[in-house]
Amino acid sequence: MVGLKRRVLLGNEAIAWALLQEGATVLTSYPGTPASEILDTVIKLKAELQLRVHASWAINEKVAFEIALSNSWLGGRSAVMMKQVGLNVALDPLMSAAYTGVKGGFIVVAADDPGPYSSQTEQDSRLLALFAKIPVFDPSTPQEAMEMVGRAFELSERFRIPVMLRPTSWVCHARQGLQLRGIEAVEPSLSLGKDPYHWAAPPRQRFRLHRELNQKIGEMAEGDSFSTLGNPEAELAVVASGVPFAHLRDLMRSLGLEDRLAVFKVDRPFPLPRGLQGLLRRYRGVLLLEETYPVMELQLPFRDRVHGRLDGTIPSEGELTPEVVLRALRKLLGEGPLGEVPRPPEGSRPRLCPGCPHRAAFWAIKEALPGGIYPSDIGCYTLGLNLGAVDSFLCMGASISLAEGFYLSLKGSAGEVPPICATIGDSTFFHAGVPALIDAVHQRASFVLVIMDNGSTAMTGGQPTPASAEDGKKAVEMEEVVRGCGVEHLQVVDPYDVPRMVKAVKEAYRFTQLHGGPAVVISRRPCPLIAREPSRGVVRVTEECTGCMSCVEETECPALEEGEGRPLVLEDLCRGCGLCVYVCPMGALELEGG
Amino acid sequence: MGKDVTNILVCGVGGQGVILASDVMADTFLEAGYDVKKSEVHGMAQRGGAVVSHVRYGQKVYSPLIRMGEVDYLFSTEKLEVLRWMEYCTPSTVVITDTVQINPPAVNLGEMEYPTDIDDFLKGNFEKVYTVDATEIAKELGNARAANVVLLGVLSKLLGIEEALWKKCLLERLPKKLHELNLQAFEKGRLAV
Repeated sequence: MVGLKRRVLLGNEAIAWALLQEGATVLTSYPGTPASEILDTVIKLKAELQLRVHASWAINEKVAFEIALSNSWLGGRSAVMMKQVGLNVALDPLMSAAYTGVKGGFIVVAADDPGPYSSQTEQDSRLLALFAKIPVFDPSTPQEAMEMVGRAFELSERFRIPVMLRPTSWVCHARQGLQLRGIEAVEPSLSLGKDPYHWAAPPRQRFRLHRELNQKIGEMAEGDSFSTLGNPEAELAVVASGVPFAHLRDLMRSLGLEDRLAVFKVDRPFPLPRGLQGLLRRYRGVLLLEETYPVMELQLPFRDRVHGRLDGTIPSEGELTPEVVLRALRKLLGEGPLGEVPRPPEGSRPRLCPGCPHRAAFWAIKEALPGGIYPSDIGCYTLGLNLGAVDSFLCMGASISLAEGFYLSLKGSAGEVPPICATIGDSTFFHAGVPALIDAVHQRASFVLVIMDNGSTAMTGGQPTPASAEDGKKAVEMEEVVRGCGVEHLQVVDPYDVPRMVKAVKEAYRFTQLHGGPAVVISRRPCPLIAREPSRGVVRVTEECTGCMSCVEETECPALEEGEGRPLVLEDLCRGCGLCVYVCPMGALELEGG
Repeated sequence: MGKDVTNILVCGVGGQGVILASDVMADTFLEAGYDVKKSEVHGMAQRGGAVVSHVRYGQKVYSPLIRMGEVDYLFSTEKLEVLRWMEYCTPSTVVITDTVQINPPAVNLGEMEYPTDIDDFLKGNFEKVYTVDATEIAKELGNARAANVVLLGVLSKLLGIEEALWKKCLLERLPKKLHELNLQAFEKGRLAV
């Protein structure tokens, strides 16, 4: 036990604290914004407080889900954390676990990213809870997220069902002052027991499990999981959950709407409490505020007086900012529109950091295989788009299967097959790239695969990969995995050695032309942000410079600026990677101290 | 303020300590007995160069986001970044900004020029503007990275929360070897008002 005071915590830190406070003993995750800091915090607290819990980054969300679930089947409280698109990867075990049920409380934290700020979709995980027929809690603040963890464990154990907690970005990445309780050690007694009816049910039994599941959800819907605010006698009502509820509360106060609206705050949007459905029938108009899909709205059996996403009162895409909520409220109150919602200003275009090894690798790929097709993947390296070295990204691991598909389709067509070079990060390769690579080898699909190995999951803050050896874990060697997939041509290169990198990519391509099948180059150099390596030196512009600005344009390096007729090196930012030295057609740049 | 909630929009460029400045604010308001909510960006959004954090405090605060047109204090660690958030401001918004200029990519790539008339624009459109050579002051003290703390000193002078609370919360967020320098930076900021 540590002495505790009120502290300003990030929503994700609050969730981590609550999971441990409520006695979770196995916690797993795969990093992804906005969920990453939950397990980061668990691991930090585990070390600080010397907790005997198992907390680990798994190879992907499906594996993370199953590890946590097994502890729940043994009787321990467990949690698995991921971002919304990670839940797509874990959907298979989720659907089935809803049928099998659980023993120890089991929470699935799926963090959504309306906007989206850092994702390929703005899907609503609550709809997947409805699809899987499991209950879902929808916190509006870090404090609520904390409280809901305890309620979710209780509900999970009472109904023997997985329970989802669905925070969104402005819960995960909001901070507020919170009062913490201590974390006490728990020693659950664990035993699987012989229960084939649940843990090993064949298809015929699954029908009965489905019926049980429906009964559970039906029973839960009878309970109350909402509170009433404002004026229940008003003619108009608002039903809100999640962050839009927080915006609504502020707006009601500043606009003086307390008397004019009945407000129903829903903690658990699925199953929607049946009692609420009855209450809503008495209002002349009902506005639904929920992020991002009409999950509560779809559960209301009457439609004529309901306003939300289905009748266009709320836009069907984008986040519910305070401005969007204000406009919807004005529509409900018949106060006329305020015009278009102004778009929040765009941030400047994201770029790879100075000294990023991906920049050098991308430049080498373009140099070695000009005019190629460049499928890429999910990670910092999607920013290779700016450099013209990325043509596509779809979802985790897809660079390899898309490269295979492009090759197989084009091979069968009349024209010549252009060079195909896929890029994928190390963590993403382990996550979902390995099965795709085995398939490509099996199909003899000819393309170059560059694995951009920076030794960590960099975009989300540098979480370890299966190749990391920290905490006594066995480091899985990437070269062995690649060869084990059946790849016959493999080279490992430091991308800062640009000529060697160019040569390696060319040789890999030649191999694919001569022998068929994929060839792999591992482009290996740690992320300078995460490895915190000192700078290797600073680039100087010499007299040979003609001011063509190729270095600025082709590298898009934040340390290079267009100066007066000559490039300007920002010495504070330059990390001395030396790529611009190779890029310069005049040989006018020099690396000092390199 | 005549309002229940005070809204501070903290903006700047990655690496300038925007998040640290907003953390110190949130800690201080909490210590002073207020309810506090704050938002910040992570992940891909963090790679964008422009960084923003919303800080809100009052007797009771629900949302972590400031509505457009509701910013009371715009706190910017870079001069051009002020312009990015104009829709969140009104003429009565108090603007506090460093005079330092950091070129965004479009300027680096020669697609646009760094605007030269920002000072006139701010003076013409806002009732209260504090432009402070925070980076210069911090450099003189020995570390340009303390510019955010100079600006915190300016803000602290305007908000009427006890100085000692600010200092306590500031030092709690910093390693010991940086305490002396940052206390000086904070003092310089207070003197600049």
